[in-house]
Amino acid sequence: MIGRYTLALVLGVIAVLMVSPLVLTLFTSLKPTTELVNPAWYPPADLTFEHYARVWSDGGFSRYFFNTVVISLVDAVAMVLIASMAAYALVFVDFRGKMVVKFLLLLGLMIPVTAIILPLYSIVRSVGLLNTHLGVIFSDLALAVSIFVFMFTSYFVGIPRALHEAARIDGATEFQTYRRVVMPIATPAIVTTALLEFLFSWNDLLLRLLLLPRDEMRTLSVGLLNFQGVMTRDVTGLSAGTVIMAVPVVLLFLLFQRQFVRGMTQGAVK
Amino acid sequence: MFLDPESRLYKQLTPVLFLLPAMAIYLVFALYPTFSVIEYSFTDWDGISPERDYIGLANYERLFSDRIFWEAFRNTFVWSGVIIAINVGLGLVLAAMLARVWKGRLVIQTAIVLPVVISPIAVATIWRWMYQPTGVINQVLELVGLGGLATPWLGNPDVVLYALAIAHAWSTLGLGVIIFLAGLQAVDEDLYEAARIDGATALQSFRHVTLPALRPVTAVVFILTLTQSFKVFDIVWATTQGGPIRFSEILSTYMYKRGALENEYGYGAAIGVSLLVIVSLATLVYMQIEGREER
Repeated sequence: MIGRYTLALVLGVIAVLMVSPLVLTLFTSLKPTTELVNPAWYPPADLTFEHYARVWSDGGFSRYFFNTVVISLVDAVAMVLIASMAAYALVFVDFRGKMVVKFLLLLGLMIPVTAIILPLYSIVRSVGLLNTHLGVIFSDLALAVSIFVFMFTSYFVGIPRALHEAARIDGATEFQTYRRVVMPIATPAIVTTALLEFLFSWNDLLLRLLLLPRDEMRTLSVGLLNFQGVMTRDVTGLSAGTVIMAVPVVLLFLLFQRQFVRGMTQGAVK
Repeated sequence: MFLDPESRLYKQLTPVLFLLPAMAIYLVFALYPTFSVIEYSFTDWDGISPERDYIGLANYERLFSDRIFWEAFRNTFVWSGVIIAINVGLGLVLAAMLARVWKGRLVIQTAIVLPVVISPIAVATIWRWMYQPTGVINQVLELVGLGGLATPWLGNPDVVLYALAIAHAWSTLGLGVIIFLAGLQAVDEDLYEAARIDGATALQSFRHVTLPALRPVTAVVFILTLTQSFKVFDIVWATTQGGPIRFSEILSTYMYKRGALENEYGYGAAIGVSLLVIVSLATLVYMQIEGREER
């Protein structure tokens, strides 16, 4: 067919344009300061890692990195647990008030975090969780749990009810059925949830800016924002900080692209 | 378990225990603040002092006559317009092109979707650097002989809003592309076959087969992009904080300034409610379309 090569060429150019901001940032982060006079698209002639070393230790990024990893991991694991349990009850257990629970969760899909940050701050402060990672984790979980409950629900609905019935007839409790029968075959939903929640958590700025005023509690997002405010002209340091923040999620994305794409098309509301 | 699994109490307790962790966290940290933002919007609270008075609709009346609010409102819609045009328009075209390429498709798709996982604060840092007066955008313009177009992108009142919206579009385009691609895979191959037998060109089959089939998906991307633009905060806050003057002020930054920085908590809450209403309505429409598609 005519144009197949033209098509590939046009797409190739667009692909290069799309990744170029990332590549240029990587270049800058690896350049000695003397090479900054060159155009940005010149690859570094002499590789240097001094900017990384600088922001990592002096810029405090090592602590920010550690904080971010902790919060994101806890978020991901906790989200898988609470969302899958709630979805299990909604799909496999009969109880009164199921419609009410579903309706309340549905509201959660419509709440933009931005709109409610002011009272959220007040609540986190009044329960004594301001400046704690737990306060951020609870807020993260609360604001995204609806999406993941519905993600698990739609996965569980596809599991034959007979499987659940059989386990119950064999004398397994609901909790044993959840743990030994349903969860082991829910791997796709588990992986998607863990990956997406990790990503949301890793990338968020607003909640962390508000709920973690103390420097030693801060995450990469707030660290990068502050670094930008203080070291406006430190282009290489900023690039290195950006790369430090981007590399883990880029790697995760490259490793689990299929799961990410499926999750992002499903959980697109956030 | 110490309770008899067949007892009534156990049966009643089970769903409660399964739902408790999720619902407790959700009620306290999501639903409650949502209702209190509505409540606070009827008060004159400053966010600190112990007393607050209910002042009825005064905050909302003030919104209507607040010129800056309307500027932020307008800017937010302009922002939506830019990213909808790019995500829906370019997103659809790119997806349709990608669907016709086999070799190297995954590589190209990866490159287009990759920016989606980059944190908004990193996006802001990268683009602020590229938009500098001596930055790479102006360098490229000089190189291709368009040096006359070079400008301090984030300092120029006429372009700052569009420049930031384009940065946002860069980081969300991939989402539109993969949703369109998923939609394209659901289009019946026979329709293309029939169009080809009837002698339709690629462009004609795009117009008469692809576009009509993708109408619901297009609506999804449209509304999704719309809600995304109303939730933006990081990209603006980390670059211009709404400046120069108010030229890139959007609803979220204005709310943050009033509510969190200037201690006009009640008024900030009213701005928050306006965001809540717009996003909720858009999401309702989105769920309607999604629900219809699933059936």
